[in-house]
Amino acid sequence: MRLLALTTGFLIPLVAGSAWAQAPAHCAAPRELVEDEPRLPALAERFRDHQPVTIVVMGGASSAGTTPDSGYPHFLELALKGHHPDTPIAVINRSVAGNTAEQMVERFPKDIYPNQPALVVWETGTVDAVRGGDVDSFANTLTEGVEAIQSHKAELVLMDMQYNPGTVSVINFQPYLDALHQTAELQGVTLFMRFDMMKYWSEAGAFDFINVPREKRATLAREFYECLGERLADAIDFAARIGE
Amino acid sequence: MTGPIPRVPRDLRLDFFRGLSLFFIFIDHIPENALAYFTLRSIAFNDAAEVFIFISGYTAALVYGQSLRENGALFATAQIYRRVWQLYVAHIFLFVIFTAEVSYAILVVQNPMYTEEMGVGDFLQEPHLAVIRALMLAFQPMFLDILPLYIVLLASFPLVLILISRHRLLPLAASALIYTLTLRQGWALHLRPSHNVWFFNPLAWQFLFVIGATAGYARINGFWPFPTGKWFSRAALAITVLIAVISFSWTLHWVFDPFPPLLAKQLWTHTLDKTNLAPLRLFSFLVLALATVYLVRPESRFLRSRWARPVIICGQQSLYIFCFGILLSVLGHFILAETAGGFWRQVGVNVVGMSAMIGVALVLDWYKTASRRPRPDRSSIPAIPSE
Repeated sequence: MRLLALTTGFLIPLVAGSAWAQAPAHCAAPRELVEDEPRLPALAERFRDHQPVTIVVMGGASSAGTTPDSGYPHFLELALKGHHPDTPIAVINRSVAGNTAEQMVERFPKDIYPNQPALVVWETGTVDAVRGGDVDSFANTLTEGVEAIQSHKAELVLMDMQYNPGTVSVINFQPYLDALHQTAELQGVTLFMRFDMMKYWSEAGAFDFINVPREKRATLAREFYECLGERLADAIDFAARIGE
Repeated sequence: MTGPIPRVPRDLRLDFFRGLSLFFIFIDHIPENALAYFTLRSIAFNDAAEVFIFISGYTAALVYGQSLRENGALFATAQIYRRVWQLYVAHIFLFVIFTAEVSYAILVVQNPMYTEEMGVGDFLQEPHLAVIRALMLAFQPMFLDILPLYIVLLASFPLVLILISRHRLLPLAASALIYTLTLRQGWALHLRPSHNVWFFNPLAWQFLFVIGATAGYARINGFWPFPTGKWFSRAALAITVLIAVISFSWTLHWVFDPFPPLLAKQLWTHTLDKTNLAPLRLFSFLVLALATVYLVRPESRFLRSRWARPVIICGQQSLYIFCFGILLSVLGHFILAETAGGFWRQVGVNVVGMSAMIGVALVLDWYKTASRRPRPDRSSIPAIPSE
């Protein structure tokens, strides 16, 4: 099933007339990819009352980053602090390269709960898709993980995989994307559509993710994760609004 | 049984719906393809894979069942294994294509952002093991998971034939037992060393193949083991429509968020387990099949129309068109990924792909007809229809 993931081919005409999220031109994203329903009410109250906010990022290699200050969690923290100067915000990155969703859930008790986060950003699915593991148990693990985080009074943003025109023809992402999107939908969890956003950027020419010269690879990663962190901050802020 | 056996007239519905499922499989296999919203899975809990496996089981029983009666078990087995060998060669061919694709992808996506994604090329680190695993059907990435299922099902088919000639319901009973135990005990075929399982679990999917075979064999010996009657068909039709409404509401919901997905919380997770042919998927397919048999009669004029012809020819050449379709979806996706395809480009790739499938099917059909032109010394040998 490939139901949710709208192809960007569809999206471009859909969003052509709509307004854009505030951002520098090269990493702007269509509103449809950033604005979700208000699903983070507790975080919204914390922002309003300027109470300390701890965010734990749980993910794989693309969340861990090559250095602590070049991954998107770092830029997420900077952006959120910019948006909420009077709220103490800390982003704790607990990502481990090469983890499957199941291995991440196993790390929850050690890496998430002791930090008592208000928000967990859970990025997952890449290793599961690369290894071609059972989609059904992947979906079950997601549901299990989402419920475990919710039972610890934390709110949640689920983030899907990275897009690259070169990898999509050899890695079967679609069933895992569908499972992730539909789990988010059924559990009423905020979903950050990184895959579609990167696809949009790739097709709009904002970023070229293939055939990058060796000396430009680190720069590309840094620029890209800066954009991604900012858009993630926008998405979190949008979901953490109070009322309509 | 002795004496000449009347040949079963060709049921064009089998060819038509198998051809249609081949088109759907092609479309569904192009990642991020907008046309995939218009295939069977948008209006049913199952997809084209169930249709393909069922009809393959049905026609296998039809063709090899007749051969068993006329030529004996040894010859029928030899025929089946000739087919298995063709499938095996096709599988290895697809493995070579996959290897080329991965090598290319790794070359162009050398980038610190994609360390986990590059894991897809890990098998290239140990090419000697990778090749052996592929030869043993133990390496099934991306689109390399369907042919192994078909190979295993067909390779064990002589056993089904021998059992079915003892008693027409014997394989069905044994098969149902294996399916039930597989679901209850979680039996699976493992792929070493990754500890993953076969995407299509043969222990579960054999049930659908054997249901098809039982129905196909019933056509030869004239005994229909399944319930019939108008009320039964009408109930199946009603349930099919109900499933279509529910499934379509999900499709609409994923496209257009405010649309309510009917019963999604209760049913959706039960349709996910394609690996083990989830009972809800099997049920959805079976009522769909019953409704189709009820609605579309074998003598239907539509099946003889010029619109149905290309689909029917693809269905008649199913082995080649199936493999060719997989190859085309790989190519089609490659083109879409390299050229940043909009909606109309996607439609274009789909149309070109399906035209190519029809074109190749026409050539194969022509070749088969031409090579079967009656010759004096061969005219007495009855033509064996393709399975």
